[in-house]
Formats: sequence, structure tokens, C-alpha cells
Amino acid sequence: MVKLIGRRLIQMVLIILVASLLLFAIFDTPEFKRRLAVQELGGFAVSALSQDAYNEWLARRGLDVPFYQRYFNWIGKIVQGDFGFSYEKNRPVGPLLADRLANTGILALCVFALMIPISLTLGVLSGMREGSGLDRSITFLSVFTTSIPEIATAIILTVVFALGLGLLPAKSAMIAGFDPWQLVLPVLTLVIYDFGYVARMTRASMAEVMTSQYIRTAILKGIPYRRVVMKHALRNALIAPFTVIVLQMNWLLSGVVVVEVFFEYDGFGKLLLEAALFPDVEVVQACTLVAVVVAVTSQIISDVGYTFLNPRIRFS
Amino acid sequence: MKREETTRLHPKAAEAKDLMERGRLSRRGFIRVAALTGLSAAAAYAMAGLPQPAYAQSMADLPFPEPEGTPQMGGILKVGMQVQKMEDPATYSWTEMSNQTRHTLEYLAYTTPDNVTHPMLAERWEASDDLSEWTFYLRKGVTWHNGDELVADHVRWNVERWCDPNLGSANVGLSSISALVEEVDSGEKNEDGTAKMVKKLRDGAIELVDDHTIRFKLSKPVLSFPEDMYNYPTAILHPSFEAPFSDNPIGTGPFALAELVVGDRCILKRVTEVNGAPFEYWGGDVYLDEIHYYNFDEDNQLTAFASGDIDAIYEFGVEQMELAKALEGEIIAARTAQTLCVRFQVDKAPWDDKRVRQAFVKACDNPAVLPLVYAEGGDVGWNHHVAPIHPEYFELPALERDVEGAKALLADAGMEDLDVTVDVGNTDGPWQQTICEVIRDQVKDAGITLNINVMPPSKYWEIWDKTAFGATQWTHRPLGTMVLSLGYRTGVPWNETKYANPEFDAALDEAEAILDVEERRAVMEKVEKILQDDAVMVQPVFRPVYTIVNAKVHGYPAHPTQYHQFNKVWVES
Amino acid sequence: MAVTSLSPPPVPLLKRLQKPRIAALIFAIAWLPLMAYVMAGDQLGDLEQYVLVPAIPAVILLYLICMAAFRESWIALLGATLVFFWFFIAVAAPYLPLIDPNKPIAPFTTPLTEKSGFFFWLGTDFKGRDMLSRTLWGCQRVLVWGVTATFVAYVVGTAFGLIAGYISGWWDEVISFLANVLLSFPVMVLFIVILNYLGPSGFNIVIAVTFASAPAIMRIVRGLVLDVKTRDYVFAAQTRGESALWIMVVELLPNVRGPIIVDACLRLGYTTVAITTLTFLGLGLQPPDPDWGLMIKESAKTAMLFKFSYMLLIPALSVSSLILGFNLMADGLREMSLRD
Repeated sequence: MVKLIGRRLIQMVLIILVASLLLFAIFDTPEFKRRLAVQELGGFAVSALSQDAYNEWLARRGLDVPFYQRYFNWIGKIVQGDFGFSYEKNRPVGPLLADRLANTGILALCVFALMIPISLTLGVLSGMREGSGLDRSITFLSVFTTSIPEIATAIILTVVFALGLGLLPAKSAMIAGFDPWQLVLPVLTLVIYDFGYVARMTRASMAEVMTSQYIRTAILKGIPYRRVVMKHALRNALIAPFTVIVLQMNWLLSGVVVVEVFFEYDGFGKLLLEAALFPDVEVVQACTLVAVVVAVTSQIISDVGYTFLNPRIRFS
Repeated sequence: MKREETTRLHPKAAEAKDLMERGRLSRRGFIRVAALTGLSAAAAYAMAGLPQPAYAQSMADLPFPEPEGTPQMGGILKVGMQVQKMEDPATYSWTEMSNQTRHTLEYLAYTTPDNVTHPMLAERWEASDDLSEWTFYLRKGVTWHNGDELVADHVRWNVERWCDPNLGSANVGLSSISALVEEVDSGEKNEDGTAKMVKKLRDGAIELVDDHTIRFKLSKPVLSFPEDMYNYPTAILHPSFEAPFSDNPIGTGPFALAELVVGDRCILKRVTEVNGAPFEYWGGDVYLDEIHYYNFDEDNQLTAFASGDIDAIYEFGVEQMELAKALEGEIIAARTAQTLCVRFQVDKAPWDDKRVRQAFVKACDNPAVLPLVYAEGGDVGWNHHVAPIHPEYFELPALERDVEGAKALLADAGMEDLDVTVDVGNTDGPWQQTICEVIRDQVKDAGITLNINVMPPSKYWEIWDKTAFGATQWTHRPLGTMVLSLGYRTGVPWNETKYANPEFDAALDEAEAILDVEERRAVMEKVEKILQDDAVMVQPVFRPVYTIVNAKVHGYPAHPTQYHQFNKVWVES
Repeated sequence: MAVTSLSPPPVPLLKRLQKPRIAALIFAIAWLPLMAYVMAGDQLGDLEQYVLVPAIPAVILLYLICMAAFRESWIALLGATLVFFWFFIAVAAPYLPLIDPNKPIAPFTTPLTEKSGFFFWLGTDFKGRDMLSRTLWGCQRVLVWGVTATFVAYVVGTAFGLIAGYISGWWDEVISFLANVLLSFPVMVLFIVILNYLGPSGFNIVIAVTFASAPAIMRIVRGLVLDVKTRDYVFAAQTRGESALWIMVVELLPNVRGPIIVDACLRLGYTTVAITTLTFLGLGLQPPDPDWGLMIKESAKTAMLFKFSYMLLIPALSVSSLILGFNLMADGLREMSLRD
């Protein structure tokens, strides 16, 4: 187990090293530097700059050295916990990222808190009696909701609850401080998109368990159906969904981009998009770093958790 | 004939009267404009329907408009705008940055929303007859937020700083400041071995007459000195300034920076005391307690306004007009000289043939463009880049569309079935592309195929002065001569058309040497005509700038360059 | 009297057309003109007007074939119906009596009203362009770029999967590591970085989708190949002395086809979502031609009002129905393959 985790961690470090080198190389093109200059000085001003003045600007921004050199400097700083500086937001990346991650964290927490009970309940109900009317309706519902892209869900919810009924705020900019009402629509959007997938995974797992030998035996022995499900089936059926749920953390980092942009919620996804468009290289680097760490960590947790929870693997 | 001239209202006054009648200008505001344009006070008061006051107004020497209605003290104004960093006000590159500072730092002059320039930190100014010497008399009793009094030496410090080649301030590009500097050998060498030249302040260019009087001696006549002094990077800083401004925000204005989070918020609070003593603001009553800027991208400002988070916004685009109309709020359409020049480079094929350019221009119907792009407000442009809001605007006879003539010219040049591509970057919104699309449909009648190459804004700014055929946005400048000097003189850096006509340069020189607006207008006829005849661009629209404010906000200025000056704004509680 | 010469029972036409090669041919007749029309419409010249004509019967025929093939699963039938509805609209759009989708007529006209001499079933957008026409034309770009991107991702992913699975060794190590690098990025991060680097356009979306999807496809194919390559017929081919390339393409590929098709349907859905989302974020297809993501993007800032919400809802529902179609089809196909 320790060996597995160690292997994964080494792999993660390798991946981060490769990925960030690639990013430095990508953002090293003259066009990107020029775009940065236009963002900072204005289009007219940049085109009026002489080559000397432009080079001076590059030097001031530290963009005149080769990208690999900047890459090594960056790694040196990261090791010391310094994430660099955001030109766009004019502040160190560390605290900026921490703020935005905290916001996305709140969002994610609410999403999981709502999504896990809903999807597990539906999945179990559906997998308990495969092929029943309930099963078919739940399956169809989950295919249906996962087929509607987040952007469309966000629109429909906004049109109905914010523009139509006027019950909820349409935007989640929270300029007057934290407002839980402004969190409702983004959370609902993500939950609606996501719960179907987890529910289907739970259903598959539950259905498999229900057809297994020991459950059949238990039912034949005359143990009440309810008890069989609650005591014997559930425990084993929830192993697979656990890994799926953990892996949803990875998905969420993608999913939040469009939701945060649409609802104007100041989180990680919006930061990443703004930084990439700016281009605010060190912020993009830091965001990618976080994304990769979250992705790989969630993989490790799901692997370890699966091994830990599954007696067949644990004892063999 | 003579009679008619004497009763004719100055166009500025006529426009002000119009604004007043539509409720966009307070009656007192109208009187101020009228007075500046030479209308007698009695006539002005009569026209405004107000009784003439028995004694001189107490506010008469202040540049700010009278407040609307009966102002209430206190309150917070929340504005949606991109919140940017505040490093060095002399090197600001975006208007938004200057809006964040404009309530703290002030200027020698102040161009009001109706495009009239008044003295601000200066009490008045004088120019020599040849316009090469300008004397500014500073207002007395202006205090900095650290207790110092504003003196002429502070202004000298600022102007010298702008001229410092190491600072890189865009102010050196202003015709006024550029007439204060000279090119000298820096002592360093260029790569090719020639001496490296830098621009430096000329010795003796600035003279301190006394504590409150400063004189500028220019190397050439400059007309727009006062207008230049309200250009956004010319804010007057305290000599103790060190970048970034946000760390030590000392100014003379009524507000000071309380909190700045770039990309999030900028909070300004009224200055009430300095060193324990109450702060006396020179500019009369100020009503707001706080000004809050909240960061919203331009696309999202109106939707944020709709959700009630903010009271006013920086700008919304014409495509959002219907949404704006459906909201509760007052829509303000500011008249501007902002425009789109669908311009040719006259040294590149096929535009090096004047007949081709003329044919293209003839195939266009300028007045038909505006209503298709801007349903409300705006002015028609006649391809000479001088706007009706410019004080010296001379109204040339309207251009007639001539499709047959265009075809004939094309045939003559051997360019039937002309197929060209225009680059457009939508650098300031999709209206630019819409103009190109309308032009495309118009020139089709003359057998011209116009393809539109839409590119991202940043990409467009990389090629704006290089592409043979591009649609470039030009911002508002208070005087028509300013923009012509920047963009169309032979060999100037921003001459994107590569237009070079000595006759035009000479006519423009002549116009720029005349201080009197009426006399200058007479010369402008020639200037505008030459540029129009040479057909260097299709420039059909001077666009309006839209903003929206909450009904409880009063006196919100509709400035043509979106400069925020909230001295007289007040909020109903 | 017994029948001596037994002629084979007549095979229904639709059954015969279901043979992979014939179906693929019909698909090509329907698809290639559409692709040419969307990707290179400018270069077609006069041909542009006629190029889609043969595609219309081909799409209808293809639909009938699918109906016959999917008759066991009503879910697959429903999905196919949705997908083929949009496919049909895509090829038929130039010949439908629609108003020019890029022509501004009367801005902000609500649905089912008449204005300026036109009747607007679905109203107009902020520029006064007909929503019905834009919605129907809009499916062309989404469909063509979505399918192309998925297809290219599959070609690349399958190729690497075959190599990694069949040749193994160092090839496998290197390919698997690279795939892991790419898979560690959240998809959206990868999209944003790649499209930001290449610039927003349809072709670049294809590249970005390939980078994002190919690693996962490669993993699936690799797994399938590892399972299949120990079969007898592979050994037989190896003893015959066939080249590795021949074995991969002729022996392995057809035998891993089934699961791949199901996955492809699902992935078509993801890609369509991705394209719409990217366009909404400003990284995808560029104006002015209609496209659903763009319609959402434009309406999100101009029509945030209940009475104009049709501008947002119509493209949102359209894209949802197409994706629902792909997903139902995938579901039905999986169901059918499990039954076999």
C-alpha cells in the first residue's frame, strides 16, 4: 500500500514537472508577451513603443530570460512555498489562490453535501429491483439530467428561479459579503449535472451485489428483504460509488469553470479562465499545479479507499 | 445676413439648450455654458426660464456643475467597473485606473461632460498671441491630504516628471508637453553606433512666476494646452509621491483611497480631517460619503446592475440597450467624438490608387449607417474625423452616395469586381463589426466584395497601424485639431493611413494657431475638405457611450470619455 | 414435391444495408458533403448550393437503417431519432425556407409575432436575427466540429492504444506515461490552456479535444487489446508471418469495435458539451455564423430578463436535446450489446 502511494506521488511530481515546463514553453511565444504588454500598457501605447522600450519592458517584467531559466527559478520558489506574483490582480499568487480555492471549496462542499445523499439513495433504490418501473424512471432521469450541459442547466434555473419567479439572485458576485442565497443556483446546477452519473454507478454496483450468491442465499433463508438490503447489500454496494465520488473532485475542478463564469462567482475556475486569457502566466501555473495535485490526490484516495474498503482485496 | 449672424446661438449654447430641454442638463448648468460661449447672463437666464439672481453666484468661480435638485448629504455610490491597479498616475494606460484616482487627484483643467474645458486647480489661464506661451494661475487655498498647500512648484515637479525619459509617461505625446522637450544625445550609443537620442525638458521651458503662477514656454504654438491638462495621465501629484499610488494616496480631491483589491473592489472615502484638523475641500460641497467601485467585466456590468448590486456602471454596449430599457434606471447616452475609422493605407495596393479609395467611399452611404448600429444617440461622420461635438466643427455639405460614380471610377482604375478584406478587432465591442457589415452590404451595390476578418482585440492592436485595410477605433479628444494632428499629419507615429499631404499639414498648422473658436472653424472647412476629398477612410459614425444609473442617483455625469468626476453626485436615501 | 433448388430466403433491403461497409458508405455520402460545406464552404464556389443535395436522402436512409438495427431498444430509437433530427436539419438547412440567419431584421422580437413583414416563430435575438433560423443553422457547426473532433481523437487514441497494447514494452511505458500526464489535467484546464495557445477556431478545437480525449480512448483500447491479443486467430496471423501493422488493423481492430462504438456515442456527447461551453467562454467558434454556444454567450449579456429568456432557453434546449440523443443512443447500444 505504502509502495503504491509512493509510486503515485513520484508520478505526480514527475507530471507536475513536465506539465509546468510545457506551460512555460507555451507562454514563451512573442505573441503572448505582446498580449501581456497590450493588457498592461494598452494597445495604442504598445504599438507606439520602440523596440528598445519594449525590450526594457520585457526586462522589467523578467520576460527577457529564456523560459527554462524562468522555469527553474519558478521551481526554486515553489519549493519555498512562493507561488509567484499575479500581474493582473497585482498581488502574490499564494493568498489570491487561497481565497479563490476557499470560495470554490465552499461551493464544492455544498455540492457534495447535496449530491452524495441524493445520488446514493436513488442509485440504491434503482439497483435494488433491477428492471422495475422505479428503476427505469430513475435511470431515465439520470441519463436526462447528465445530458443537459451545465451551461443549459444554469440558464434554465436562472430563467425560472431568478428572472421568472424572482426568488433567487441571478448572479453570485457576493459584492456585499457572503450571501448563502447567491450560492443556491450554482450549487443546484452542479448537483443536477453530477448526481445522475454517481446514481448510475451506485445502481450498477447495487444491482451486481443483489444478484450475488450470498444475497440470494440470505433472501432464500427467509431474512426479511429490508434487512438483507440494509445489513448485507448496502455495505458492499457502496464501495464502487465511493471511488466514483472521490474522483468527482477532479471533475468538479473542470465543471466549476463555466458555472463560476456564468454566475460571476469568484472561485478557482473563474480565476483560471481570466488568468489564461490575460495571460497571467504564474497564476495559470499555480492553478494547473493545484488542479494536478487535486486530480492525483483524488486518484490516490480512491485507490487506497477502494483497497481499504474492499475485503476481497484487503485480505488477499 | 448680418442680422442672422448676431442672433445665431453659439452651437455649444444651442446644444446646451437642447440638453437642458431634454432634461439632461440642469438649468444652472446651461447658464454656465451659455456664459462661456459669450451669451449675456440676462439672455441665458431668460432662456433657462430662471429669474436672474440679484447677486453674483457663490459658485461662479468653481468649475463644477450645480447639483440637480436639492442634494442630500451622505450615502454610498456603488459603481460597476473593472478595478485595476493604481501604480503611477502619470503612466496610467486605462481610463478605469484614472477613474479610481480622479476623486483623489485633480487636474489643472476640467473638461465637463459637454466638452467645454474649465479651469480646475488653476483659477484661470492666459495664452500669448502666438499660442507659444501659456500662463496658469493656480487656485489659492487648495490643500493636500497631508496639510500642505498646493503651490506652483508642485505643478513644476509634475511637469518635469512627465518629461523624464526614464518614466515613460504618455503625456510626452501630448502636443503641449512635447513642445516643452527637446531631443538630446543621451551619451549612450545605439547598436548601429549612432548616438542614442532621448527627449528631455528644455532649459527654461518652465518658469515659476510666483507661488501660484507658472508659465510654460513652448517650442511651437499649441492650441490644446488646457484640454491636455485634463487628459487622464496628467493628474497633479504631491511631490512626495512614490509608486504605487495606492500605498500613499495623497491628493487634493474630496476622497481618499480606503481599500484596493485589484480585480475585486476599490473603496474611496470622503476626507474629513487632515492632521487632526478638519479638511476643507476647495471645490465646495461634496455629497457622497463613499464611492465603491466593484469589479465587473464590461459584458457583465449591466446584468450586475439588473440584479441591484450596483447603482451605476462604467458602460454598456448598444447590444444591451433593450435589456437596459427594461430595467429601472436612467439611461444616459453621452455624445462623443469616439469613432471607427475604416481606413485605407494609402501606400499599399489597391489603395495607393486614389480612384479606388474614392470609389469605395462613394459607394458608402454614411447617414444610413448610424441608425443600423446605434438606435439612440450618436452623430454621423463624414470621413474627416472631426465630430459635431468638437467646438471647431465645420459642417461640410453632406456627401451624396454615388454608386454609378463608384463603378465608373473602379472601371477607370481597372478594378472592377474589387475584392478586399478588412481587419476588425472589435477592440471596444461588437459595434465595430456591425459597422463593417453595414458597409459590406452598401459597397456590394457597386460590385465591391468586402470580406470581414474578425480578430481578437489584442491581435488587432498588434497590426492596427500595419494592415493595409483595417477598422481602427479612435477615442474622444476634446478638440478636432488634436485628433487630426495625432493621426493624419505626415509621418507622425500614429498615422495609420500613411497619409502624407503637405497642403493638409499646412492648413492644420493654420487652424492650430487660432485660439478663437469661431475663427478657427472657418479654417477647419479647408482642413476637413482636404481630408475628405483624399478619401483615406470611411468614418460614418461618432458613437454615443451608454451608461445607466439608478433613479436615486442624481447628477451622474455623462462624460464623452467616461471620466468619472462625482463631486456633485448625490444619492437619495 | 420438394423444392429442389433452395434459393436463400430474401433478405430485407434494410437488413442488407446494415452491413458495416454499406452503412459506412451511406454515412460517407451524408457526412463528407456536410463537412466540406461547413469547413470549406468558401472554397466550394457555385458547388456550395448543390453539395448537400445528395446528403439529404442519405441521412434519411441512414435513419431507416438505424431504426431497423435498433428496434430492440426504444431508448436507442429515441436517441437515434433526436440525433438524426439534427443531422437532417444540418444537411437540409440550406434548402429550408429560412430567413438568412445573419441578417438583422427586428431586434428583440418575441416568439410568434410578426414584424417587418416576417413571422418569427421563435423570435429574434439582440441584433434582430431570426432565432429559428439561427438555431437550425447552428446545429451544423456544433455537429460537424463535434463529430470531427471525436473522430480524430478516436483515430489518434486507437492508434496509440493498439501500439501500446500489442507491441507493449517501452512503447507502452512511454505512451502510458504521456497519457497519465494528460489525464492528470482536469479537462477544462487542458482545453483552456491549449485553445488559449492556439487561438480560438474550429480546427483548434479538434486539436484540443484530441489532446483531452485521446488518452482515455487509448487506455480503453489498450485494455481491450491486451485481452484480445492472446486469442488463437492472433497467433495464427503471427505464425503466418503477418506484419504487426496488419495484425493490429485487420485482426485486432474489428474485434474491439463493439465497446468502442458505445464509448464513442458517449464521447460525442461530451465533445458537444465541450464545444458549446468553450464557445460560451470565448475560446471556441467565432462569430458571426450561428452556433449554439455563441447564441448563449451573446444572450447571456443582452437578454438576462424573463421576457427575453427565450434567447437563452432555445439554444440551451437544442444542445441538450442533441446530447441527450447521443447519450440515449449509447445507453441503448450498451443494453443491446449486453443482451447478445
